[in-house]
This record gives sequence, C-alpha cells and structure tokens, in this order.
Amino acid sequence: MSTQKTLPEPIIRPEFINENIALAHTGDVAVKLSVFEKIWNINGVRKAFILLSLVAIWQAYTVLLDVEPLMFPTFLSALDRLVSDLVDGELLAKVWFSVKVLVIGYATGMAIAAILVLWGTSSRLGGDFISMATAMFNPLPSIAMLPLAMLWFGLGTASLVFVLVHAVLWAVALNTHSGFKNVSSTLRMIGENYGLKGVPFVVKILVPAALPAIMTGMKVGWAFAWRTLIGAELVFGASSGGGGLGWYIFESSQNIETEGVFAGLFMVILIGITVENLIFRNIELKTINRWGMQR
Amino acid sequence: MTQGAHTAAGNTPAAAAVDPLLDVDGVTLQYKTKEHLITATYRVGFKVYPADRFVLLGPSGCGKSTLLKGVAGYLKPVEGNMRLKGVDIKEPGPDRVMVFQEFDQLLPWKTVKENITFALMNGGRCKTQSEANDIAMEYIKKVKLDRFEDTYPHMLSGGMKQRVSIARGMAMEPDILLMDEPFAALDALTRLQMQEELLQLWEDTHFTVLFVTHSIEEALIVGSRILVLSPHPGQVKAELNAHHLTHASTGDPEFGELKTKIHNMLFADRILEDELAAAAAEAEG
Amino acid sequence: MSTLPQTVVRPEFDAGDLSEASHGDVARKLSLWEKLVDMDGVRKLTILIALMMAWEIYTRLSGVSEYILPKFSDTAVALYDAVLNDQLLIMIKNSMTVLLTGYAIGLVIATLLTTAAIMTRFGSDVLSTLTAMLNPLPAIALLPLALLWFGLGSSSVVFTLLHSVIWPVALNAHTGFMGVSETQRMVGRNYGLKGVSYVTKLLIPAAFPSILMGLKVGWAYAWRTLIAAELVFGGAIADTSGTQSGGLGWFVFANQMDLRIPYVFAGLFTVILVGVLVESLIFSTIESRTVRRWGMQSS
Repeated sequence: MSTQKTLPEPIIRPEFINENIALAHTGDVAVKLSVFEKIWNINGVRKAFILLSLVAIWQAYTVLLDVEPLMFPTFLSALDRLVSDLVDGELLAKVWFSVKVLVIGYATGMAIAAILVLWGTSSRLGGDFISMATAMFNPLPSIAMLPLAMLWFGLGTASLVFVLVHAVLWAVALNTHSGFKNVSSTLRMIGENYGLKGVPFVVKILVPAALPAIMTGMKVGWAFAWRTLIGAELVFGASSGGGGLGWYIFESSQNIETEGVFAGLFMVILIGITVENLIFRNIELKTINRWGMQR
Repeated sequence: MTQGAHTAAGNTPAAAAVDPLLDVDGVTLQYKTKEHLITATYRVGFKVYPADRFVLLGPSGCGKSTLLKGVAGYLKPVEGNMRLKGVDIKEPGPDRVMVFQEFDQLLPWKTVKENITFALMNGGRCKTQSEANDIAMEYIKKVKLDRFEDTYPHMLSGGMKQRVSIARGMAMEPDILLMDEPFAALDALTRLQMQEELLQLWEDTHFTVLFVTHSIEEALIVGSRILVLSPHPGQVKAELNAHHLTHASTGDPEFGELKTKIHNMLFADRILEDELAAAAAEAEG
Repeated sequence: MSTLPQTVVRPEFDAGDLSEASHGDVARKLSLWEKLVDMDGVRKLTILIALMMAWEIYTRLSGVSEYILPKFSDTAVALYDAVLNDQLLIMIKNSMTVLLTGYAIGLVIATLLTTAAIMTRFGSDVLSTLTAMLNPLPAIALLPLALLWFGLGSSSVVFTLLHSVIWPVALNAHTGFMGVSETQRMVGRNYGLKGVSYVTKLLIPAAFPSILMGLKVGWAYAWRTLIAAELVFGGAIADTSGTQSGGLGWFVFANQMDLRIPYVFAGLFTVILVGVLVESLIFSTIESRTVRRWGMQSS
C-alpha cells in the first residue's frame, strides 16, 4: 500500500433509512399515450397514408400537366383498364396460365432439391456435388437456359417449367444444404440420443433446425422463378399457347396500350405481394418466428 | 485488500469538506413504450464522492438501470438535476464511460486492442495511435489478457469480453465508471473472480465507480456505499455503508446481518410477485 | 424406503502428480492421401473433370444429335474460337459496362433513400412502402415501359437495372441499420461519436453484414435482368447502335437462332464464368475479410 498517500480515499458518511416511503406521492407511474399518438403509431395507418399520397401525386401530375396518355396514362385509367380486363376474364385467364406454370415449376424444383440435399447429407460425394453444382449454376441466370430449353423441349410449357426448375433448384439446394451444415452439434447429438437415424433424423431434427435457412432458400427461389417466368413470357409466351401475364404486358406495349402495361404491372405487384406477404410471411409467423429463431 | 479498505476508512476527510463528484438531486425519469409512459424513478437523490464504489441496489423495476443511463446522458430527467463536478449532464460523453451487461458492447469488427484504442482516440484521450497503443496494452495486461490483444471479440469467452470492457472503461480514465450489472451474464465462478479482480484494480488507482446490481451479496462485496431502491417507481429506501466488507467477510455474522437487513428492507412489504422475482435474483446472484 | 438403493461410500483418493506419466501418441500425422482427400478443392476438381469426361463419352457413344447436345470438346473449341474471332471479349465488356453503370447509379439512389429512411420515421415509412410494393416486381417487366420512354438503347436497360438494384440494397441496408443493437449505439455515443463519424465509424460497420447481403442480392438481380434484357431485346438494341456486338445475352440468343449450338454452350459457360468470378472472387473476398473475420455472419 505504498501508493496510498497519493490516491483519493473514500469518504465515510453516516447511513440513513427512508422510513416513510409509502407516504411519498408516487403520481402517475404509467400514463397512457393519447389517441392521436396511438393511431399515428400504427404502421398500417402511416403506410396507407403514404400510398394514397403517391397515387394522388401520380393522378395530379398526369391530369394537370396533360401528359400524353400513350407515354404515361393517369392512375385512374390504368386502374379502369385493370378492372375491366379482370371482369371480362381476359386478364384472369392469363394470370391463371402463369400461376399454373409457376406452381408446377416450383414444386418440381423443390422436389429435386429435396432429393439432392438428402444425397448431400448422406454422403460426402453428394455434399461435394451440391456445393460445386450450386456454385456453378446459381450465378447462371435461368433465363439464359431458355434458348437451350426451347431446343430440347420445343416451344411450350415444358420449356418454361424447365427454366423455372433451374431457377428454384439451386437457390433452395444451396440454402438448405448450408442450413443443414450449420445445425448445431448439440441438436444433432440430442437427435442421435433419441435414437433418430436416416430420414427421420433429417425430417425431425435437421429440417426444423435449419428452417430459417430453408425459408430463405424458398423465398430466393420464388423471387428468381417469378422474375424468370415474367421474363420468359415477355418473349416466348405467345408461342406457347394462351400466353401468361408477361405476354399480356408485352402485347399491350406492342399495341401501344400503355394503360394495359400498367394494368399488367399492377397484377404482377399484386401477385408478388400476395405470395411474399401472405404466404411466406404466414409460414414464417407460424414457424420460425414462433420458435424464436428469427427476430 | 481488506487491510486497504480498513485503513482507508481510518484517515478520510469529512464529507462536508469535499465536493461530491456526482450530485443527483430529486431526479424523476420517464420513458415511453408502445402503450405507456413509464415512470422509472421518482425524486431520487444521492451523492457520489471521489473513490466511492457506489452501488445502486434494488429488485427488477426499481429503475436502477434507467438511473444509470440517465447519469450516462442517454436519458433526460423530467424533474430534478444531475451534476458531474458541478456541471449539468446534458449528453453522453467519454467522461462517464459505461460498462454494459451485454456481451455485444465490444465492436465485433475490431480486435481487443483496437476496441480500446478506438475508444481512446475517439474519446479524445489520445492524439496519436502509438500513445493509444501503449495505454491499451497497459490495461490489457492489467486485466490479464495479453496474448489476446489481436483476437476478435467473437473468439473470447463471456468473462474475457467483460474484462476487455472493463479495461476499455478504465483506460479512458473517466471521472466516473458506470457499470450496469456487468457480471450478471457470467457463470457463478467467473463472477466471483471478476468481483475480486475489480476490487484489486480499484486498489491500484482508487477510481470512482457507480455500480448497478440486483444481487445483495454482490453489492456488499463490491460496494463501499449502497443505495437501496424500492420498485414501481424507484425511490430511495436507504443508503448504507459497506466499505469494510469484501469476499473475505462473507462468513462474518455482520455480513449476514446486513444482508438480511437489506433483504427485509426490500421485500418485507412487497406483493408476492416481487418476492418471486427476488427469489430468482437471489438464486442467480 | 428400504427398497431404495443407498449411496455407496468409498474412500477418497488423489492421483498426485500427473506430469510424469507418459502419454504415447497424442497426435498422429495424417498420411498424404488422407490429406489430399480432405482438401475441398481437390475433391471438387475431380468431380468437375469426371462430369466433363462423362459428357464427352456420352455424346461420342450415343451419337446424340449435335443440335441437341454438342460434344464437350466442340464446345471448348467454340469458346476458343468465339474469343478469337467472334469478339466475345468485347461483348463481355459491353455487358459489364451497362451492368456497372446501372449498379453504380442504383447504389447512389439506394444510399440516398436509406439515408432519408434512417433520419426520419416518415422516410423510413416511405422506403418500406415502396420496397414492399416494388421489390416483388421483376425489373424485366419494366423493360417494355422503359423502351417506350427511353427508346431502344442502353439507357432503357440501365433503367431496368436501377430498379433491380435499388430495392434490395435499400431494403437490406435499412434493416441492417435498424438492427444495430441498442448497446452498440450507446457505446458509440459514450465515446462522443456524433453525426457523420457516428454513421461511418459505428453504424455502417455494425450493419455491414446486412449491407453486404443487399449488395449481393442486388448484383444477382441485376445480372439476371441484364441477361434477360439482352436475350429479349439485345438484337434490337445492338441494331440501333449500328455495331454487330451486343452483349453476352445476345451472343447466346443469336447463336441459337443460327443453330450454332456449341457456341450457345460456349456463351452459357461465359455467363457462368463471369457470375462465379464476381460472386466467389469479389464478394467472397470481401466477406472473408470482414464479416466472417469479425464473427458477424448470421448463417
């Protein structure tokens, strides 16, 4: 304790006890927020407000400045076109065509991905194959495969399904495989402790534990497939029968019916939001969010 | 160590002769949640003098962490005032360095040494990198982490991360070191060791520290002066001396008596809910 | 009670000094073969070579039409020839110029949007409304509109690229900034960091994993959009610019039209090569130097 002289010393002071704490006026421990504050705090209210103002700006801009409708139609005329084409069934038929192809391609892609990943978890050769194939094919835009697909499968739905499978397969396989690899060894040991082996081990332990990664893969796969489908239909839709939503947009732009282009884009956005915010969001809420695996 | 604390008690100046380092006077703190405006503390007042190991003790909901954040400058009081060396506290600053409970307080993109030098350079204590390096190494040695200076935080254990945080806090040589339950997330043995190391570091420089905990035992061991707070909202229940107690005295009857006294003070007239929380806190600490 | 097993009390013991005990082989070196098999690169290269040989042998033995699946060797020759005589390198350059222009402008706009979003709650609401609406919209669907507004030419392609880059980048960066832990924010302010230095020294590194993720997704979308745009309208765009050289997508499409199938495969290989180069060289390098080293990678 040689340094003691230069160091500041603690000051000892008398103790005290506050005996009449219960008598102290505590006032409002918790005050409710005002109604306006609460309404403005609701996300939906603020976002709806923003959406409405954007639409209002669009409408005002096109009407007041008298913009050429062939270049940029008013919001209301585009909306009008959307409703009338929906009512007379033309647009619905095209949407149905696109969705059908999309679902077939997506499901096939998922099935192949599942088989690949099963192989990948059971043998090192399979694992190597997956990581190499995904590294090679994931950066290859699937629409680039379309010329080849048309050569192999002809002009038709089969070609579209082929490119969709390509779009879904690698994204899902890549994420699922890396998700499986990252499952904590504690969870693996617990599964083995319960006597789980083979497929039950994968289904009951690996899949739920890697669900966040699998969901990411499915979402990325959906995003790529959706983009690929619209792109493919833009060009080749007509030759493959009824034609889909992409073709509807292309046709409208060729006929210089710009309201039709916007009506088609509205529909694309609508479907996209439905799939992402309703389907995927709900799956996430019911699984990984509930399990606390995602903030 | 025990010896040091005792002699310190012997030759101290009277409280009136020295100005308090930190003066908290009648402070009420409130914060908003999605639904409510919460009053965390109600007219709390206390004075911290140089070289104090001042502990804020209380159960969950007594606003002790909020109070510490207020002193750090993250929160403005709705009434009352807080002065450091006679100057009103307006915003966070390097003169009051905070050590948090959470392990992510170390910046993960900087190594152990860089974490400290970053603080020194940006906190304005050092002008040159080499000066900062020297100081950082000195404090890394003090917390016995030399050999780990170039490691990234994610490779360290929880106890090591807290040591780095303490080293960082001390290296900046703040007027007062603020510690928000720094050992709460550690296992029992590591916690004991860290408490001891903290006291040893204090013996070296007699720095001033404001320490928040919900463990009565930790308060008695670490603290020299204990502010006991009641919950919902936090109010001052008592201010007690514990400068003569350390790890060595945990077996003394006096230690046990003081512990029971504080325990009764906190939980005697509280509803069952609080007792449960306290039991949990006791089991933990 | 008498049926319960009772604790067996036995004498204590102390093993004493352990340092003198002999341990034998604690660690044995692996053989050269074991080491080779354990190297990822070696195994993957073997698989790659095996696949190529299988392709070559299959096409030779089965006599499959070369319009369906050309020989591997023919494809390799075609690739070599395309580089020498078909200006393949210039086409790559054309594609990359358009891509980088779109990417760079997109990043600037995304930065502005994100800045507005982190400064005010209104900005954040605007950004999340826009991204929720426009992120699910494939950029390629805007190409017909872009052609109408900007005419045939690379400015139309750049416009669609912008759309494919802005939303994922802004969305991820914003999520990243929002997700910076309260503790780290308080630490930064404790050091006295403010304004620009608070953003550059604390927020950006802390949100870097998300930002990088956004850059990667933005790149992936942009790359796909570009190839699609060139496939679809590349001919038209190339024609107006008066030169024979369009982009990579156009190379694939034109050769398919001319039924020069080995060249189609050569084009696809080039697309893969560029993609792999950007993803595994550029992005992986950044990743291993930053977020991986810092232990900040979430998955």
